[in-house]
Amino acid sequence: MNRDKIWHLFARKLSGESSRDELQELQSLVEEDSPLKYEMDAITQLWEQQHPQDTEYLEATYHLHYEKMKKLGVAPVSADNEVVYFQDDKRRTIKKSRLIAAVVLAGLIVTAAFVFLKPGKLPAKVEAAEQQAQIIPNEIKTKRGSNTQFKLPDGSTVWLNADSKLNYSKINATGVREVYLTGEAFFDVVRNPERPFIIHTESIDIKVLGTTFNVKAYPDDKTIETSLIHGSVEVMVKSRPHEKYLLKPNQKLVLMNEQYAEKREKDQRVMPVNIPIVFVKQINYLQGDTAARETSWVRNKLSFEDEPFAELAKRLERWYDVSIEFKNKEIEEIELSGSFEQETLTQVLEAVRFINNYKFKYKIEGKQVVIF
Amino acid sequence: MTEIALQTIHPYKKIQDLQRRIAVYDDEAAYKELFFILFHSLTKFSTGIVQTKETAEEIVSDVFISIWNDRTRLQEIEDLQLYLFIAVKNNSIRKLKQQNKTRTVSIDELSVEMDSAYQDPEARVLSSESLHNIEQVIENLPHRAKLIFKLAKEDKMRYKEIAALLNISVKTVDHQLAITLKKMALALGATFRRKK
Repeated sequence: MNRDKIWHLFARKLSGESSRDELQELQSLVEEDSPLKYEMDAITQLWEQQHPQDTEYLEATYHLHYEKMKKLGVAPVSADNEVVYFQDDKRRTIKKSRLIAAVVLAGLIVTAAFVFLKPGKLPAKVEAAEQQAQIIPNEIKTKRGSNTQFKLPDGSTVWLNADSKLNYSKINATGVREVYLTGEAFFDVVRNPERPFIIHTESIDIKVLGTTFNVKAYPDDKTIETSLIHGSVEVMVKSRPHEKYLLKPNQKLVLMNEQYAEKREKDQRVMPVNIPIVFVKQINYLQGDTAARETSWVRNKLSFEDEPFAELAKRLERWYDVSIEFKNKEIEEIELSGSFEQETLTQVLEAVRFINNYKFKYKIEGKQVVIF
Repeated sequence: MTEIALQTIHPYKKIQDLQRRIAVYDDEAAYKELFFILFHSLTKFSTGIVQTKETAEEIVSDVFISIWNDRTRLQEIEDLQLYLFIAVKNNSIRKLKQQNKTRTVSIDELSVEMDSAYQDPEARVLSSESLHNIEQVIENLPHRAKLIFKLAKEDKMRYKEIAALLNISVKTVDHQLAITLKKMALALGATFRRKK
């Protein structure tokens, strides 16, 4: 036998090039507790250790790179997401589009002042207008069909899903950490026991110390969900002020959305089904995946389990920036499971059609989808 | 910060995902992340050719600009990491030829710096003596062997990508890596046996 074969097999194993047979062959060649095994283990550990990123150097280099792009007139402008970069708590740079907006706003207020106010009072009002223009609302919005990731001034990271809004004007140097969320976001909150982080939504408040979790609170969804990955969170439901819910990792709190229930009632003149308003469930993990189904959107994966087509359609609307109309109520109730990643809307609809034996048809016209 | 599953996904999947976000959504955050993941490796690779870090940084930055400018066609690229390495290689060689006029460049002349063998203090497996011996082995490797080792270990490149980048056969990559690992194991073995 070629005496160097073992090193070829080892090299392939480390580089992820081995076939299953080659892995088995290597295992049979290297005896347990042999010096060779020890050496290979040590090399494997070294191989897998990655040098940590030098974030400071990269941050500085990217800044230079971005400036160069600006000079060339090709710098990315994230006007849609209005991302604000924070260097640290004291210094911040604001995107140009935001500044222009502020200037335009100041201009409008000043114009309004000229039209509506007596000349004598003008100077004071102009000053007020200037002050107002300086208070920039710290808000990040995403449109349908896009999502974004950013860092908050306290260092916490937020992934904001499509068609969502996060206001963080109440995060500041004095120690307050409060944000307002509409839509869906995944939070990785920097731990600070003295400064709890509070997320306000229309119907619930969530208090955390330091943890990773997902909040889904779209006004038109059937449920409001808080899914906890690490740490602990405390959820307060506004309509039930005397109760507090403490979540453990891998649990999610599901709250029936009253806004949604009322709207459904009006639309369809049906009595709401009698289901508990708040309940705690286990988080779903995808088969062969380390990520929870609830957070798979962060990786641009659309994943769902036993979800009525009508609910899935809402996610598709946000995901692909379309509006979906059902002409057939029966189709709306079909429960679906699956996950999509790179697929186009047509591919998704075709897949759903396939698993339902082509029971329905659809028509896509621009941004309108009709299912019948 | 707490560890989340996001950071453990395979670098290829990650790069594909960023590629899509840049192409489809003009996503600046994704562009920045791609820059963070690859800038260091690409600069090191280019430095091996042009010899000065500043020139290398300039070349890599220009390649990243062209990526942004052509982002609508970004998804046509099958392997973005390889594409970027090849673009950086070609631009670096062009730059070197400009500077030195007629000289041709062979990959056997490319020097490359490894990141120092980083040991997580909590998961320390090797004595500093063993580590030193291994570093010596890597330091004394022929240029090409070192570059192959570096691309496989640090940049997690596949054999066929390394072969495509360096214009060599997959067999050569396989062979060179095997020799390097054998040398490392021998150096380790020598240290262990002396201890006993």
